[in-house]
Formats: sequence, structure tokens, C-alpha cells
Amino acid sequence: MGLISLDSVILQSFAYSETSKILRLLTRTHGVRSVIAKGALRPRSRYGGILEPFTDGVATLHLKEGRDLQTLSGFELRRSRQGLGRHLVRFGGASLLGELVLRTASEEAHPELFDAFRRGLDALDRAADAELESAVLAEAWHLIGHLGFAPALDACLACGRAVEPEEATTFDHAAGGIRCPECAPSAPGRPLPPHAREALVRLGRRERVPLERTAAHWQLLRRFLAHHVIEGRELRSLAFLEAALTAA
Amino acid sequence: MAVIDDLTGELSRLPGIGRKTALRLTYYLLKRPPEEIQRLARVLEAVAEQVRPCSECGNLSEHDPCAFCANPRRDPSAICVVEEAADIGAIERTGQYHGRYHVLGGRLSPLEGINPEDLNIAALLRRLGNGSVVREVIVATNPSVEGEATALYLQKLIGPLGVRVTRLARGLPVGGDLEYADGVTIAEALAGRREL
Repeated sequence: MGLISLDSVILQSFAYSETSKILRLLTRTHGVRSVIAKGALRPRSRYGGILEPFTDGVATLHLKEGRDLQTLSGFELRRSRQGLGRHLVRFGGASLLGELVLRTASEEAHPELFDAFRRGLDALDRAADAELESAVLAEAWHLIGHLGFAPALDACLACGRAVEPEEATTFDHAAGGIRCPECAPSAPGRPLPPHAREALVRLGRRERVPLERTAAHWQLLRRFLAHHVIEGRELRSLAFLEAALTAA
Repeated sequence: MAVIDDLTGELSRLPGIGRKTALRLTYYLLKRPPEEIQRLARVLEAVAEQVRPCSECGNLSEHDPCAFCANPRRDPSAICVVEEAADIGAIERTGQYHGRYHVLGGRLSPLEGINPEDLNIAALLRRLGNGSVVREVIVATNPSVEGEATALYLQKLIGPLGVRVTRLARGLPVGGDLEYADGVTIAEALAGRREL
């Protein structure tokens, strides 16, 4: 395949050799790709300062299937999200979304994931300070859903019965969902009261939710990710984000 | 061939040097007079043995404290914070700054697992502690998203200590052409415009 233009968001950007940069891009039609931007660090580079994490644009590259590293020949800026770096919680939240994609997405096209990621970054960029924590959780759960790991919150994992909104349930991290009061005693899990379950459902729909016990929400997210998305490893950006939230 | 392979292997571990370039460098070195190679080896050994981070500022130096920290003519009331020791050279070349430095050893990057505790921040705070004569900290981290986040983090830590925290300006390069500047740089230049 020759020269192609791809809707892209830069996930990661780091220096390579004296003058080049290597970028990890999430593209709409070609999944996650690594590209080298030759000369990007030169003072008068045509890329200027645009090849930064979270930047949105059209990447033109020479795509050669089977190669791990493609060569970038142009990047047309659509939206810079430099502002994310000027607020530590926004920066940490955007890094969390980026790391989720980097750890799980492949080279296969996933336009819904691409759109969800882009919308998520915009939401973090624009959210009011008061609702920022809820926004980060909502965008993270929404993205997890698009990655194919959404928790089962409507019906009991064991017996399959639809759970009523007012019923107290338990959340089984390893199994990835809830258990009804009848099935809960016979299986592992932590209590998930009705209001917390409702909050989780709404967060998954990208709704802003007034959060009562935010620490419990972060703990639930951390445990869920460790079981299903990153297989026991720690998400690097989660620790940073939690520290930024505490400081804020 | 083992020694040649060893040298090629070691050279190819350097940043920006692939296997082919490493091989080319190896054969270049083998064609040089032996004393030239021995001189290079001696310098590498000396660097490994003698160069250490300055206990005061983190700059790489064969003396502790480094030349900048030990120089009584450097202004002790200003500290310029940089990401890497190599950045000091860029600022020194301007001839416009006469204060002291502090090397962070990187910038915040949650994606790469670089958190505040991985940077040389505790030593910076010690320099600003009780009895400090420092009046201004100039944050000269790179103008990237991660550099900005690092600057903001430092400002939040240092601001409450009553020390003035400033950031290097961002905008158009001197001698550049507006027509060829990218959108982000122009937007930053507009945001940072100043009264004539």
C-alpha cells in the first residue's frame, strides 16, 4: 500500500535519535500504529510543536503492511489538546484513557473506539472542575465498554435474573459483574449498594454523576482493570491520576 | 569475531544506533590507529568512574558540587529547572542567564510510568527550604504537554513557599516565518502576546 491519510490521535510521542520522534497513533481505520516522524525535533521542522500526545489530525504515511514502524510524511492539525497538560487531573485522566487504548487496542480498525477516545479527550478538556472526577470515571468506563470489557450490571452473573434497581448486590471483580442477593452468599464479591450500581451504569453511558464515595469508585475501577483489561499489571497512569485527585 | 560482535552489540545499544550503523562504526574504529581507540576507551572509563550527579542540583559533573553550584559568581537567588543535564548547555549558550540550575532527570509522563517520585524534586524542595536565598525558580521544562504538566506540578509545590515561579515563554522562533509556523505555535504566541 502506498501513501495514505488517516484520521489519527497521537497517543504517545517520544524522541528518537537526535532529530526524530516516534509516535503511537490511534487511527480510525488502521487501529494503533507506530510511526517515525523524521526531523520532527529540528528547530525548523515542518511539524513544529504539533506532534504531542492527545493531538488530533490527519496523518499521512507510507503504509507498508508487516512493518512495525511506518514513516510519517505529514500531519495536518485538527485539534491540539495542549490545554490538557495545564491541569494535572485532566492530564492524568487523558493519560489513563491513552494507556487503556495502548495496552489493549490492536492494528485492527475500530472506528467506535476511535470516536469514543476522541470524545473522551474533548470531554476532559472541557469539563468543569467540579465534575471533572465524574467525567474521568465516565470516560474510562465508556472506553472500557468499547474495548469489549463492559461489566455486567443488569442481571445476576450466576442465575441470569434481571436485578431490580433497589436490590443490593455484590460485585465480583474476577467474574466481571454483579450477583443478586440470593446468589451472592455463595460466591466472592464486594457489596455494591443500589445507588453505587446506578452510578456505575450511568457512568458507563458517559453521564456525569454526583459521586458520594469516590475512593470506592476508583478502587472498583482499579480492581476491575487488573482482572480484565491489564491482567494483573498496574496501569501506570492510574497512580498519577489518583495522586493528582488527592492533591486537587 | 567475538570481540567485534561484542563492540557492535554495545554500540547498537546507544540511542539512535541500529545494528547496521553499529557495524559501520565498529569497522571505522578498527581502521583507526590503536592509540586512538585506546584514548577513546580511556575517556569512556574516566567518564564512567568520575562523572556523577551533583548532590546539590543533579547536573552531571566530575566534581561535587558541580561548577555551577560551586561558582560564587552565579546568582544564588535564581534556579533554572531543566529536564536533562544536556539542557543546561542550551541555556548557557544564550549568555543571558547567570543563576544556578536544577536537573529533574526527566518529566512527568504517567504513560511511561514516570511519576513525581521518579524525578529529582525532593532535592529541589530542600534547596528552597528554611534559610534559602532563592527568590525565583524558572521552570525550563520542554514546551510539550508533559513538560507543561511538570511545570504546573512544580508551581503547585513551590508557589506556597513564597518563591516566585516563572516559565520560559513560548511562541514563534526568531527569524522564522509566520506563514510556515504550525497552528499550535501560533496559538501559543497569540496567547502569550505582550504590549509593545
